[in-house]
Amino acid sequence: MTTQLTRNQPAAGSRGTARRGSDSSSAARVGRPGFGWALPATVFFALFAIVPLIMVAVLSFMSWDGLGSPEFVGMDNWSRILDDPVMIKSVWLTLLVTVLGVAIQTPLSILLGVWAAGQQRNRAVLSVIYFIPLLLSATAVSVLWRALLDPNFGIPAQATWLFGDGNLFGKQATAIGVLAFVSTWQFTPFHTLIYQGAARAIPHVLYQAAEIDGAGRYRQFFHITLPQLRNSVITSMILMIVGGLTTFETVLILTQGGPGTDTTISAYYMYQKAFKGFDFGAGAAIALVLVVAATVISLIVVRVSGYDKMRSSMEGLS
Amino acid sequence: MKIRARLPRLLAGGVTLGLTLSLSACGGGSGGGSSNDGKIHVLVYGDTNNKVEKQIVETFNKTSDVKAVLDTIPGADYQQKLQTIISTPQAPDVFFNWGGGSIKPFVKADLLMPLDDFIKDDPGLKSNFLPSVFNNATVDGKPYGIPMRGTQPVMLFHNKKVLDDAGVQPPRTWDELLDAVKKLKAKGVTPIALGAGDQWPTLMWFEYLYDRVAGPELFQKALGGDKSAWESPESKKALGMIKQLVDAGAFGSNFDSVKYTNGASPALVARGKAGFELMGSWYYSQQQDGDKDFAAKGLGYTAFPSVQGGKGDPTDIVGNTNNYYSVLKKTKHPEAVAKFLKLMYSDEFVKAQLGLGNLPTTTNTEKFLDGSTNPAYSHFQYDLVKKAPSFQLSWDQAYPPAAMTPIYQAVQQFFNGQTDAGGFIKAMQALPTE
Repeated sequence: MTTQLTRNQPAAGSRGTARRGSDSSSAARVGRPGFGWALPATVFFALFAIVPLIMVAVLSFMSWDGLGSPEFVGMDNWSRILDDPVMIKSVWLTLLVTVLGVAIQTPLSILLGVWAAGQQRNRAVLSVIYFIPLLLSATAVSVLWRALLDPNFGIPAQATWLFGDGNLFGKQATAIGVLAFVSTWQFTPFHTLIYQGAARAIPHVLYQAAEIDGAGRYRQFFHITLPQLRNSVITSMILMIVGGLTTFETVLILTQGGPGTDTTISAYYMYQKAFKGFDFGAGAAIALVLVVAATVISLIVVRVSGYDKMRSSMEGLS
Repeated sequence: MKIRARLPRLLAGGVTLGLTLSLSACGGGSGGGSSNDGKIHVLVYGDTNNKVEKQIVETFNKTSDVKAVLDTIPGADYQQKLQTIISTPQAPDVFFNWGGGSIKPFVKADLLMPLDDFIKDDPGLKSNFLPSVFNNATVDGKPYGIPMRGTQPVMLFHNKKVLDDAGVQPPRTWDELLDAVKKLKAKGVTPIALGAGDQWPTLMWFEYLYDRVAGPELFQKALGGDKSAWESPESKKALGMIKQLVDAGAFGSNFDSVKYTNGASPALVARGKAGFELMGSWYYSQQQDGDKDFAAKGLGYTAFPSVQGGKGDPTDIVGNTNNYYSVLKKTKHPEAVAKFLKLMYSDEFVKAQLGLGNLPTTTNTEKFLDGSTNPAYSHFQYDLVKKAPSFQLSWDQAYPPAAMTPIYQAVQQFFNGQTDAGGFIKAMQALPTE
């Protein structure tokens, strides 16, 4: 959970600067603090992110089982994982889980967030309740749902008309469905929170003007709210994509990659290779594939969306 | 972008996750001290059994000049942490393991001390243990481990009432089991509960059928690197019989969604929704935790049925033979370690283990069985282990760690029909044996 929260920080920061930039009109480059301000964060980042990343990259060319010293094996790990049908399948599964996550969670959390942005007291109370799943650890959430979905003693046993024999974890489609559902249940509140904050920041004058012009609720939503939420959508989507690509605990506890290898997504496959099979070289190679994929996809999202130009979303207000 | 920061988190995540998983393990994790401090460090798997290990260390320290220190690592983390410290200066002198494949990589890396010299000085270090158990910590013909907890053979458990209601006797042969399945199914109960969601419970069926059909030699051959063993007619026959059982509906249709570890499959048996379950001897205490009354009166247990025309001895068993203490080659105090290991066949040790509900595998255990928490159950188990010509260590422990995940995948896929006999054989042939 803390990871979820900290992930939001750079995005929130950039939104802040974007706004400030637009306030003082385009070419304002005044009074930025020097590099010294960024030094602690940079050192921390280098020490705990860049250095390990380089070490993992080096390790992906070595053979190491945790005993003795690693040996260079050239491209061996790479050719092994690129030939490995389970690895290739895991990449597709990872993409599928990610796309499912974004496709389900985005509309849900926008609707909930915009709804929760209202000032009524009942919305505040309900928002607090919606927020609860986010306070539970992914492990606890997964253990909880595994028990709730037990075919003999859980929900499926009470609703056989819907679940049949309740063999949710025995077939690929339903197992992936469960994974998507549990992630949605857990992470939608977080994204709702992003949209709630963003929706509250939309100036009322826009809606007042729209009302005068005769725009109804739906037009207001599609022509004011959604465009104003644009940067939040991108922020939230990037977080969902990165979260989706690195989904791990839910798989570990809910399906263990099964049935067979049908839900073995890349992050879990890396764990199996490195920490179950003690093949750290192959594990490092898979990890690197994930890093590259996550970086490339995020860059694409940023480029395509124009987020990198840091334009204000406060169109028509300055 | 912060994305790059995900990677180390990923790696660290693997380790931390192990930690978070061991919710129940609250032992003081003080793993690793330097072996230069004039003490011997004993590293064990952290769980409720540590009570006995603590007591034995205290007994040892009363008489020894070189003191022993007990370090524990919470359960789920054990193998990973051991692997990372064993080749460092923080390595312990003596450590807990599962024998077989769990120590093979360490022997290969030349980290462990063969116990031949200890045994030469005190033959009791070998002769006081049941041979079928002692031999499972032997690598390349040399002994590397002394049994240090209880044995856990796999048995066929049943709900007496469910069997009575269906007019079924506990099966002694495979055909009787098939017949029982038919009758239980007609009664509308799941004949055999299976927590296939955990994958390893499924494996037990393979271990027993291969042993009954082909004898222990087939698996030993395969483990030794002769991969043709998996293609033999016996192998195919065993697979055919498993398939027959699954197709007969013995396990119902939703076994992949049932887990043993969250108590779901034992509950099926306890509540009369299933007739049988194949499980290790810890099943009794699992049922006792859930429903004391059922464990005492309603739970029956038998050995695995025999297979007509099979090459394996019907008294062979499979399971977790025991846990072992192995010794690091670089220990500075071999004499003290030898003295410590001798306590593993002492009367005090046996009594303390029985008091916890464990069944030690020393030859003097028999004397104390009547003082155990459940004498009838202890006697049954002890006889089973003592009489067994072969006690096959669970396949996932016998193979090196790298084989574990592929084995689980293969057995799961064979059970739920994702792969056929040919696919299973191929998967087993692809396992690393070194």
